[in-house]
Amino acid sequence: MKKDTLTIQAYSIQKVSFSDDYHLSSGHLEIPDHPQFELDDRFKSVDIKLVDPRDCHFQINTIMDVMPISTKVLGKMGYGLSNTLTGVNVILTGADETGVQLHEFGSSDGYLDEKIKFGKDGTPDLDDTIILIDAVLKKDFEFNRETCEMIFKMADDYLQPIRAELKMLSGSQATESFDYVDEKHPGKPKVALVKEVAGQGAMYDNILFPQEPAGITKGISIIDMDNMPVLLTANEYRDGVIHALV
Amino acid sequence: MGIGPSTKETTLHHFRDPLVRTVAPDPDIDFQGIIVVGTPQDNYLKNLVGVRVSKMLESMRTNGAIVSADGWGNSDVDFMNTMSEIDDKGISVVGMKFIGKQAGFVVENELTKFVVDINKSAEGIETTVVGENNLSQLDAQKALGLLKLKMRHDGQVSQ
Repeated sequence: MKKDTLTIQAYSIQKVSFSDDYHLSSGHLEIPDHPQFELDDRFKSVDIKLVDPRDCHFQINTIMDVMPISTKVLGKMGYGLSNTLTGVNVILTGADETGVQLHEFGSSDGYLDEKIKFGKDGTPDLDDTIILIDAVLKKDFEFNRETCEMIFKMADDYLQPIRAELKMLSGSQATESFDYVDEKHPGKPKVALVKEVAGQGAMYDNILFPQEPAGITKGISIIDMDNMPVLLTANEYRDGVIHALV
Repeated sequence: MGIGPSTKETTLHHFRDPLVRTVAPDPDIDFQGIIVVGTPQDNYLKNLVGVRVSKMLESMRTNGAIVSADGWGNSDVDFMNTMSEIDDKGISVVGMKFIGKQAGFVVENELTKFVVDINKSAEGIETTVVGENNLSQLDAQKALGLLKLKMRHDGQVSQ
């Protein structure tokens, strides 16, 4: 395996539906309509909806995150092989049972179609199916880092069985395959990017180095690194080395 | 202040990051990597992380850097401080940030004119619409073009 090359195989999903268990076959993703594990005591409920972006004029709680579904198959973060689903993305929303919204600075609660611009790099495309996970906490919850991380972790745990299925798909079923090579251009001016990211507390945080692309488990918060600079390669970035908690 | 819904970089945004997509493969430059740095609350740490970024770039013999911020408000201090520290090391630097009509710099200096505004809303404000004021590929192309011109002006490119 070449350590300077990351291969991302994309599997296009045409249909997402609810079922008793997780199942992924060519073009069709089946998921349960609730997490199949015991929820933390702080939750009042966790609701899961399948949403068509062309028909989504309904009320939502503030959007905590938009996430892709991707998994490591061979190698480590930044090289080897990763499998990614296209045509489906996840939106996580959150509030407490009295309507207090879970955000640090500005809420995006309201009608979904008015509170998101579809088709951007950070948002689902109009042709995607959205798995909308709405986390509702009991009232008088403590708004701190631990509570917020617990919510993100719940969403991550709900998605992990999809990743487990995605790992097993054969490359011949992939819709597209991309090879990203760490290109060197000796003699040209050396250029680096510096990305300043949030690192001050609850819903103002970022997690680096999760076990799975764009995951949470085993990730390290930039706050716990005292916000110190960390150098990442382009391929680590493309492989989901950051999970935003903003 | 911090990160509003319209400027927040979601996990999906990082996954498909238009800045990395645009800059990393560019044949006119030798791309070194992405430095991710946080925005601490404490003033001592705010200053320290900026210095550490500039030392890292200096040790990497970097010619040019693009600094982007995912929020605005009190993080502008970190942003301008980091840009100044990089500039002090003789490295060409340009910035990218949401400015619009709402998030202008409190203090202007010789580097603020090298900051690309990523605002997209007609009113120039935090619209609370997720994705609306995010950094796009066009913004990334603008910043890279500006950096190439600045590197030439600063004598980083031999020709």
